[in-house]
Amino acid sequence: MSDARTSDVRGTASSRRKTWITIAMAVLILIPSLYGFAGKFIEFVHIYRGTGGGEFAVAPILNYLLASAGFFCMLLWAAWNGMFRDVEQPKIDFLENERLLDRRGPAA
Amino acid sequence: MSQSRNQPSARAVPADLVDEKIVIAYYMAALTFITISMLAGLLVALQLVRWNPFNGAELLSPGRWRMIHTNAIAYGFLANAFLGTLHWAVPRLTFHKVASKALSWFIFYAWQVIVLATAAGIVIGPTLQDQPWVMELAKQTHLPMGLGAQGLEWGETPFWIDPVALLGLLLVAVNFMVPIGRSKGPMYVTLWYFMAAFVWTFLTYAMGNLLPEYAVAGTSAGAIGGLFIHDLVGLFVTPLGWGLMYYFVPILLKKPIWSHGLSLVGFWGLAFFYPLQGIHHFLYTPIPMFLQYGAVISTIAVELVVATVVINFFGTLGSKGYDQFVNNLPIRYFYTGMVFYFITCFQCALQVTLTFQKLIHFTDWVVGHAHLVMFGVFSLWLFGIMIYLFPRLLGRPWYSQKLLTYHYWLSAGGLFVMFLDLTLAGVFQGWYWASLQPWDASTNGSTPFWIVRVFAGLAMFGGLLCFLYNLWMTAKGAESVDESPALAAAAT
Repeated sequence: MSDARTSDVRGTASSRRKTWITIAMAVLILIPSLYGFAGKFIEFVHIYRGTGGGEFAVAPILNYLLASAGFFCMLLWAAWNGMFRDVEQPKIDFLENERLLDRRGPAA
Repeated sequence: MSQSRNQPSARAVPADLVDEKIVIAYYMAALTFITISMLAGLLVALQLVRWNPFNGAELLSPGRWRMIHTNAIAYGFLANAFLGTLHWAVPRLTFHKVASKALSWFIFYAWQVIVLATAAGIVIGPTLQDQPWVMELAKQTHLPMGLGAQGLEWGETPFWIDPVALLGLLLVAVNFMVPIGRSKGPMYVTLWYFMAAFVWTFLTYAMGNLLPEYAVAGTSAGAIGGLFIHDLVGLFVTPLGWGLMYYFVPILLKKPIWSHGLSLVGFWGLAFFYPLQGIHHFLYTPIPMFLQYGAVISTIAVELVVATVVINFFGTLGSKGYDQFVNNLPIRYFYTGMVFYFITCFQCALQVTLTFQKLIHFTDWVVGHAHLVMFGVFSLWLFGIMIYLFPRLLGRPWYSQKLLTYHYWLSAGGLFVMFLDLTLAGVFQGWYWASLQPWDASTNGSTPFWIVRVFAGLAMFGGLLCFLYNLWMTAKGAESVDESPALAAAAT
């Protein structure tokens, strides 16, 4: 019983450490990325406003945003619906299903 | 193992889950078009060394048949082979049939008409356009576009085919999305790739074929063209190709992929990094520099994503990888393609830098790079899949394993020689141009490389003939002349 409690405490501490490391790594990556992105976004706005041919910049950016926005929504939808909760299970299910189909014969 | 939530019972699966006839029909169409494409490629290769046997024949002019070469491989071979394989993989992955069998056959015939009409437009269109009655008709109807090819790499499909092709792509998406939508639980990575491909292919085709024709012009149209040609590889061919690798490799190795989590990192990485990188085809142009830098950075980022995918597959191959590579023929095709893919992307990460571009832009380096990805990767993968599936579809083993091995070595070897040859040719051409020597100096200097390219192409075509003869004998039911039981067992 006592061993189980010690193991629980260790597990909680390890989980907390992982959470902090994840947050620290996320901040470490996000801050320079956001800084870079903001800089480029300001440059983009200046180009769009400053020249007659600002659409040079807008056309590909809009294309990218249209494609990426859809996939960003899909990523959120997938996470919300638990698609990444048991992330390794689909690879097991898929092979089991294939074996099931093969047992039924080639027509399946 | 206990039944999981994504595993339906055997009774729930329809008896005629896969329509095998349509898979065979697509493969036959694909093999017909790759034969035409390779013959067209040989014609262009012969023209470059001034051995063109059809010199002066307008309808066989290399300028037109170069476009047949690229269109037949992309829309004739790759699209048909992918569609056939999707008819096998999607129902088996989801345990649901495609939305409509009749729709599948309609799409099959419609797609062949689209590809043939594209070829007709490219070959006959320019000749027809010069006829006085056609010019008069164009003047009367205020027809703004030509009857022949559109002036966009890989978007040469004549303008009147574009809406039909888009409708076809929409129907393809509907036909396969219905069974995917009906499946329950967290999805296997292959289905993520397939779903993305259905959306991306439609959007990419619409963007590349409609925007430069009707909406944007000048440099902006150039930027769109750059996005189109690259996204056609990255957002149509790549997700289908990798999706199929995630499907077939675990089946053939009889073990799950090393990390499903890592495979999802690869998928989402592709989704967010790939779409912006097409601008890297237009470095040193009036397109704003921040867009050019963005394309360079996203291209290099994709190389990191590709590294995760390749590591995942080699992790799956595991310690007995060499045995599998030697004895399991489809696996040999798949992993050769993966090595070529890694080389392609590594090359991409280097050649998109401004320093590299200065030297290799417009040279044969790019041609070598394109052949490496379209033939060395995706065509080899599709041949590997066909080698695995044909015995199951036809209900008999291959006529000859030796011929399959010849096909592998002639295709992979010929392609690798062609790739090295053209890469080197590109470097030479870049230096010739940089040194401001007369144009003739660069073409004379390129001739030895172009001769090697002819022979490499002949080797690849010889490999294809081995494959076609083998398939013909297998389909005819000729008695198998198997010499290697290990290979035969692995392939069936």
